Amino acid sequence: MLVWERVVVALLLLSVLGGLFVHAEVTGERRWPTPQADDLVADYDRYVGSETFMIGTVTAADGATLTVRFDSHLGPVSLTVSGVEKSPRRGATVQVAGTVGPEHTFRADRIVVVNSSSDAKLYKYGASLVGVALFLAAFVRYWRLDTTRWVLEARRDG
Amino acid sequence: MADLLTHVLVPFVLLTVAGWRVDWLDRRWTVLSMGGAAIPDLVKLNLVLDASTVGERVGLPLTYAPFSSLGGVLLVAGVITLAFERRHWRRVYGLLVGGGLSALLLDGMRVYADGHASAWLYPFTYWRPPTPSLYVSSDPAVLVVTLAIAAIVFVVDERRTRS
Repeated sequence: MLVWERVVVALLLLSVLGGLFVHAEVTGERRWPTPQADDLVADYDRYVGSETFMIGTVTAADGATLTVRFDSHLGPVSLTVSGVEKSPRRGATVQVAGTVGPEHTFRADRIVVVNSSSDAKLYKYGASLVGVALFLAAFVRYWRLDTTRWVLEARRDG
Repeated sequence: MADLLTHVLVPFVLLTVAGWRVDWLDRRWTVLSMGGAAIPDLVKLNLVLDASTVGERVGLPLTYAPFSSLGGVLLVAGVITLAFERRHWRRVYGLLVGGGLSALLLDGMRVYADGHASAWLYPFTYWRPPTPSLYVSSDPAVLVVTLAIAAIVFVVDERRTRS
Protein backbone atom coordinates (compact mmCIF):
# COMPACT_ATOMS: atom_id res chain seq x y z
CA MET A 1 0.00 0.00 0.00
CA LEU A 2 1.41 3.39 -0.96
CA VAL A 3 2.13 6.03 1.65
CA TRP A 4 -0.71 8.30 0.52
CA GLU A 5 -3.13 5.38 0.61
CA ARG A 6 -2.14 4.61 4.19
CA VAL A 7 -2.55 8.28 5.08
CA VAL A 8 -6.06 8.31 3.57
CA VAL A 9 -7.08 5.18 5.51
CA ALA A 10 -5.59 6.64 8.71
CA LEU A 11 -7.54 9.88 8.19
CA LEU A 12 -10.72 7.87 7.65
CA LEU A 13 -10.17 5.98 10.91
CA LEU A 14 -9.39 9.24 12.73
CA SER A 15 -12.58 10.75 11.29
CA VAL A 16 -14.58 7.86 12.74
CA LEU A 17 -12.78 8.40 16.05
CA GLY A 18 -13.68 12.10 15.92
CA GLY A 19 -17.27 11.08 15.27
CA LEU A 20 -17.13 8.89 18.37
CA PHE A 21 -15.84 11.86 20.41
CA VAL A 22 -18.97 13.80 19.47
CA HIS A 23 -21.33 10.82 19.72
CA ALA A 24 -20.04 9.91 23.18
CA GLU A 25 -20.61 13.47 24.41
CA VAL A 26 -24.15 13.82 23.08
CA THR A 27 -25.06 10.34 24.35
CA GLY A 28 -23.35 10.86 27.70
CA GLU A 29 -26.63 10.28 29.53
CA ARG A 30 -26.77 6.74 28.14
CA ARG A 31 -23.26 5.91 29.32
CA TRP A 32 -23.96 7.52 32.72
CA PRO A 33 -27.74 7.21 33.00
CA THR A 34 -27.93 8.83 36.45
CA PRO A 35 -27.90 12.64 36.95
CA GLN A 36 -24.43 14.17 36.84
CA ALA A 37 -23.01 17.49 37.99
CA ASP A 38 -24.10 19.44 34.91
CA ASP A 39 -27.68 18.16 35.40
CA LEU A 40 -27.63 19.39 39.00
CA VAL A 41 -26.26 22.78 37.94
CA ALA A 42 -28.92 23.16 35.24
CA ASP A 43 -32.01 22.08 37.23
CA TYR A 44 -31.22 20.87 40.74
CA ASP A 45 -34.75 20.41 42.08
CA ARG A 46 -35.69 18.10 39.23
CA TYR A 47 -33.20 15.48 40.49
CA VAL A 48 -33.97 15.58 44.23
CA GLY A 49 -34.60 11.96 45.27
CA SER A 50 -32.61 10.54 42.35
CA GLU A 51 -29.92 7.96 42.95
CA THR A 52 -26.59 8.73 41.33
CA PHE A 53 -22.86 8.15 41.27
CA MET A 54 -20.44 11.07 40.87
CA ILE A 55 -16.79 11.96 41.35
CA GLY A 56 -15.80 15.16 43.13
CA THR A 57 -13.28 16.95 45.32
CA VAL A 58 -13.63 17.34 49.08
CA THR A 59 -13.57 21.02 49.98
CA ALA A 60 -14.48 20.69 53.68
CA ALA A 61 -14.79 17.85 56.20
CA ASP A 62 -16.17 17.96 59.73
CA GLY A 63 -16.26 14.25 60.54
CA ALA A 64 -20.02 13.71 60.09
CA THR A 65 -20.42 15.42 56.73
CA LEU A 66 -18.31 16.38 53.77
CA THR A 67 -18.63 19.26 51.38
CA VAL A 68 -17.82 17.93 47.94
CA ARG A 69 -17.44 20.02 44.81
CA PHE A 70 -18.48 18.36 41.55
CA ASP A 71 -17.19 20.08 38.42
CA SER A 72 -19.11 20.19 35.16
CA HIS A 73 -19.14 21.99 31.82
CA LEU A 74 -21.77 24.33 33.27
CA GLY A 75 -19.73 25.12 36.37
CA PRO A 76 -19.24 23.49 39.77
CA VAL A 77 -21.92 22.33 42.20
CA SER A 78 -21.15 21.77 45.90
CA LEU A 79 -23.13 19.29 47.98
CA THR A 80 -23.12 18.51 51.69
CA VAL A 81 -22.64 14.77 51.81
CA SER A 82 -23.91 12.78 54.82
CA GLY A 83 -23.60 9.08 55.60
CA VAL A 84 -19.84 9.43 55.77
CA GLU A 85 -17.96 6.45 57.21
CA LYS A 86 -14.50 7.47 56.09
CA SER A 87 -12.96 10.87 56.72
CA PRO A 88 -11.12 11.91 53.60
CA ARG A 89 -9.02 15.00 53.84
CA ARG A 90 -9.71 18.30 52.16
CA GLY A 91 -8.50 18.08 48.56
CA ALA A 92 -9.19 14.35 48.29
CA THR A 93 -10.92 13.02 45.17
CA VAL A 94 -13.90 10.85 46.10
CA GLN A 95 -16.55 8.75 44.38
CA VAL A 96 -19.97 9.00 45.99
CA ALA A 97 -22.96 6.78 45.34
CA GLY A 98 -26.25 7.71 46.96
CA THR A 99 -29.31 9.93 46.73
CA VAL A 100 -29.58 13.62 45.86
CA GLY A 101 -31.32 15.49 48.68
CA PRO A 102 -33.02 18.89 48.90
CA GLU A 103 -31.04 22.10 49.31
CA HIS A 104 -27.77 20.74 47.98
CA THR A 105 -27.50 17.75 50.28
CA PHE A 106 -26.54 14.21 49.37
CA ARG A 107 -27.13 11.00 51.35
CA ALA A 108 -24.23 8.70 50.54
CA ASP A 109 -24.63 4.92 50.49
CA ARG A 110 -20.96 4.52 49.73
CA ILE A 111 -17.92 6.77 49.47
CA VAL A 112 -14.65 5.68 47.89
CA VAL A 113 -11.51 7.77 48.24
CA VAL A 114 -9.85 7.73 44.82
CA ASN A 115 -6.98 10.10 45.58
CA SER A 116 -6.45 10.81 49.28
CA SER A 117 -4.56 14.01 48.46
CA SER A 118 -2.87 15.83 45.62
CA ASP A 119 0.21 13.68 46.40
CA ALA A 120 -1.73 10.56 45.33
CA LYS A 121 -2.55 12.26 42.05
CA LEU A 122 1.11 13.20 41.56
CA TYR A 123 2.10 9.59 42.26
CA LYS A 124 -0.27 8.38 39.53
CA TYR A 125 1.00 10.89 36.99
CA GLY A 126 4.63 10.19 37.94
CA ALA A 127 4.17 6.43 37.53
CA SER A 128 2.44 7.03 34.21
CA LEU A 129 5.35 9.16 32.95
CA VAL A 130 7.74 6.35 33.88
CA GLY A 131 5.45 4.00 31.92
CA VAL A 132 5.67 6.26 28.86
CA ALA A 133 9.47 6.41 29.14
CA LEU A 134 9.74 2.63 29.57
CA PHE A 135 7.58 1.94 26.55
CA LEU A 136 9.36 4.47 24.32
CA ALA A 137 12.78 3.12 25.31
CA ALA A 138 11.67 -0.46 24.60
CA PHE A 139 10.03 0.52 21.32
CA VAL A 140 13.08 2.36 19.99
CA ARG A 141 15.24 -0.60 21.08
CA TYR A 142 13.32 -3.04 18.87
CA TRP A 143 11.81 -0.95 16.06
CA ARG A 144 13.03 1.73 13.68
CA LEU A 145 11.50 4.00 11.07
CA ASP A 146 12.52 3.21 7.50
CA THR A 147 12.40 6.69 5.99
CA THR A 148 12.67 5.41 2.41
CA ARG A 149 9.37 3.50 2.64
CA TRP A 150 7.96 5.35 5.69
CA VAL A 151 7.19 2.15 7.59
CA LEU A 152 8.22 0.89 11.00
CA GLU A 153 10.39 -2.20 10.76
CA ALA A 154 12.06 -4.44 13.31
CA ARG A 155 15.70 -3.68 14.01
CA ARG A 156 17.95 -6.52 12.95
CA ASP A 157 20.13 -5.97 16.02
CA GLY A 158 17.10 -5.54 18.31
CA MET B 1 -7.79 4.00 35.79
CA ALA B 2 -4.60 2.27 36.84
CA ASP B 3 -1.39 4.17 36.11
CA LEU B 4 0.15 3.75 32.68
CA LEU B 5 3.19 1.90 34.04
CA THR B 6 0.93 -0.84 35.39
CA HIS B 7 -0.97 -0.88 32.10
CA VAL B 8 2.18 -1.53 30.02
CA LEU B 9 3.69 -4.04 32.45
CA VAL B 10 0.64 -6.34 32.42
CA PRO B 11 0.95 -7.30 28.71
CA PHE B 12 4.73 -7.48 29.17
CA VAL B 13 4.24 -10.18 31.81
CA LEU B 14 1.48 -12.04 29.95
CA LEU B 15 3.16 -12.07 26.54
CA THR B 16 6.66 -12.76 27.83
CA VAL B 17 5.35 -15.88 29.56
CA ALA B 18 3.31 -16.77 26.46
CA GLY B 19 6.49 -16.33 24.41
CA TRP B 20 8.04 -19.27 26.27
CA ARG B 21 5.56 -21.44 24.35
CA VAL B 22 5.07 -19.43 21.14
CA ASP B 23 8.25 -19.21 19.07
CA TRP B 24 7.57 -15.98 17.18
CA LEU B 25 6.41 -14.05 20.25
CA ASP B 26 9.68 -12.39 21.23
CA ARG B 27 10.39 -9.08 22.95
CA ARG B 28 9.87 -6.91 19.84
CA TRP B 29 6.27 -8.15 19.51
CA THR B 30 5.63 -7.90 23.24
CA VAL B 31 6.60 -4.23 23.06
CA LEU B 32 3.76 -3.61 20.61
CA SER B 33 1.20 -5.02 23.01
CA MET B 34 2.64 -2.76 25.72
CA GLY B 35 1.98 0.14 23.35
CA GLY B 36 -1.59 -1.06 22.83
CA ALA B 37 -2.07 -1.04 26.59
CA ALA B 38 -1.28 2.68 26.57
CA ILE B 39 -4.11 3.51 24.13
CA PRO B 40 -6.84 3.91 26.80
CA ASP B 41 -4.55 6.36 28.63
CA LEU B 42 -4.83 8.74 25.67
CA VAL B 43 -7.97 9.92 27.49
CA LYS B 44 -5.53 11.92 29.64
CA LEU B 45 -5.01 14.16 26.63
CA ASN B 46 -7.68 16.15 28.44
CA LEU B 47 -5.01 17.29 30.94
CA VAL B 48 -3.15 19.25 28.26
CA LEU B 49 -5.90 19.86 25.69
CA ASP B 50 -9.29 20.26 27.33
CA ALA B 51 -11.97 18.52 25.27
CA SER B 52 -14.65 21.10 26.00
CA THR B 53 -12.30 23.91 24.90
CA VAL B 54 -11.55 22.06 21.66
CA GLY B 55 -15.28 21.43 21.27
CA GLU B 56 -16.01 25.16 21.59
CA ARG B 57 -13.35 25.93 18.97
CA VAL B 58 -14.77 23.46 16.43
CA GLY B 59 -18.38 24.16 17.35
CA LEU B 60 -19.17 20.59 18.42
CA PRO B 61 -19.59 19.01 21.84
CA LEU B 62 -16.99 16.33 22.37
CA THR B 63 -15.27 14.13 24.92
CA TYR B 64 -12.12 12.03 24.75
CA ALA B 65 -13.84 9.24 26.70
CA PRO B 66 -13.91 6.91 23.62
CA PHE B 67 -10.11 6.55 23.89
CA SER B 68 -10.80 4.54 27.02
CA SER B 69 -13.31 2.24 25.36
CA LEU B 70 -13.29 -0.75 23.04
CA GLY B 71 -14.22 1.40 20.05
CA GLY B 72 -11.35 3.80 20.68
CA VAL B 73 -8.85 0.96 21.08
CA LEU B 74 -9.96 -0.67 17.81
CA LEU B 75 -9.68 2.60 15.87
CA VAL B 76 -6.40 3.89 17.33
CA ALA B 77 -4.84 0.42 16.94
CA GLY B 78 -5.90 0.55 13.28
CA VAL B 79 -4.17 3.88 12.74
CA ILE B 80 -0.96 2.69 14.42
CA THR B 81 -1.00 -0.58 12.47
CA LEU B 82 -0.85 1.36 9.19
CA ALA B 83 2.62 2.58 10.15
CA PHE B 84 4.01 -0.97 9.99
CA GLU B 85 4.90 -3.17 7.02
CA ARG B 86 1.84 -4.61 5.28
CA ARG B 87 2.89 -8.23 5.94
CA HIS B 88 2.81 -7.61 9.70
CA TRP B 89 -0.56 -5.82 9.89
CA ARG B 90 -2.65 -8.70 11.21
CA ARG B 91 -0.16 -9.54 13.94
CA VAL B 92 0.51 -5.91 14.89
CA TYR B 93 -3.21 -5.10 15.06
CA GLY B 94 -3.92 -8.18 17.19
CA LEU B 95 -1.16 -7.32 19.63
CA LEU B 96 -2.20 -3.66 19.91
CA VAL B 97 -5.87 -4.55 20.48
CA GLY B 98 -4.87 -7.28 22.94
CA GLY B 99 -2.80 -4.80 24.92
CA GLY B 100 -5.61 -2.25 24.88
CA LEU B 101 -8.10 -4.86 26.05
CA SER B 102 -5.85 -5.87 28.94
CA ALA B 103 -5.77 -2.23 30.09
CA LEU B 104 -9.56 -1.89 29.75
CA LEU B 105 -10.10 -5.12 31.69
CA LEU B 106 -7.69 -3.99 34.40
CA ASP B 107 -9.50 -0.68 34.73
CA GLY B 108 -12.82 -2.53 34.78
CA MET B 109 -11.73 -4.30 37.96
CA ARG B 110 -11.14 -1.18 40.05
CA VAL B 111 -13.47 0.18 42.67
CA TYR B 112 -16.58 2.06 41.61
CA ALA B 113 -18.78 3.30 44.44
CA ASP B 114 -21.92 2.03 42.71
CA GLY B 115 -20.39 -1.37 41.87
CA HIS B 116 -20.35 -0.94 38.08
CA ALA B 117 -17.37 -0.10 35.87
CA SER B 118 -17.57 2.52 33.13
CA ALA B 119 -19.24 1.58 29.84
CA TRP B 120 -15.89 0.53 28.38
CA LEU B 121 -17.50 -1.65 25.70
CA TYR B 122 -18.79 1.58 24.06
CA PRO B 123 -19.92 2.07 21.28
CA PHE B 124 -21.08 -1.53 21.03
CA THR B 125 -23.13 -1.29 24.22
CA TYR B 126 -23.81 1.25 26.97
CA TRP B 127 -23.79 -1.55 29.55
CA ARG B 128 -21.65 -0.91 32.63
CA PRO B 129 -20.22 -4.32 33.66
CA PRO B 130 -20.17 -5.13 37.38
CA THR B 131 -16.73 -4.62 38.91
CA PRO B 132 -15.05 -6.88 41.48
CA SER B 133 -13.72 -3.65 43.08
CA LEU B 134 -10.20 -4.99 43.54
CA TYR B 135 -8.33 -1.70 43.88
CA VAL B 136 -8.47 2.09 43.76
CA SER B 137 -6.46 3.74 41.04
CA SER B 138 -4.02 5.53 43.37
CA ASP B 139 -3.22 2.38 45.39
CA PRO B 140 0.58 1.88 45.07
CA ALA B 141 0.15 -1.81 45.97
CA VAL B 142 -1.15 -2.47 42.45
CA LEU B 143 2.04 -1.12 40.87
CA VAL B 144 4.31 -2.73 43.47
CA VAL B 145 2.81 -6.19 42.86
CA THR B 146 2.90 -5.72 39.07
CA LEU B 147 6.52 -4.47 39.20
CA ALA B 148 7.58 -7.44 41.33
CA ILE B 149 5.96 -9.95 38.96
CA ALA B 150 7.40 -8.14 35.91
CA ALA B 151 10.90 -8.19 37.44
CA ILE B 152 10.70 -11.94 38.12
CA VAL B 153 9.42 -12.63 34.60
CA PHE B 154 12.15 -10.40 33.11
CA VAL B 155 14.93 -12.22 34.99
CA VAL B 156 13.55 -15.67 34.10
CA ASP B 157 13.18 -14.61 30.46
CA GLU B 158 16.75 -13.29 30.30
CA ARG B 159 18.07 -16.58 31.71
CA ARG B 160 16.02 -18.60 29.22
CA THR B 161 17.33 -16.44 26.36
CA ARG B 162 20.95 -16.94 27.43
CA SER B 163 20.66 -20.68 27.99
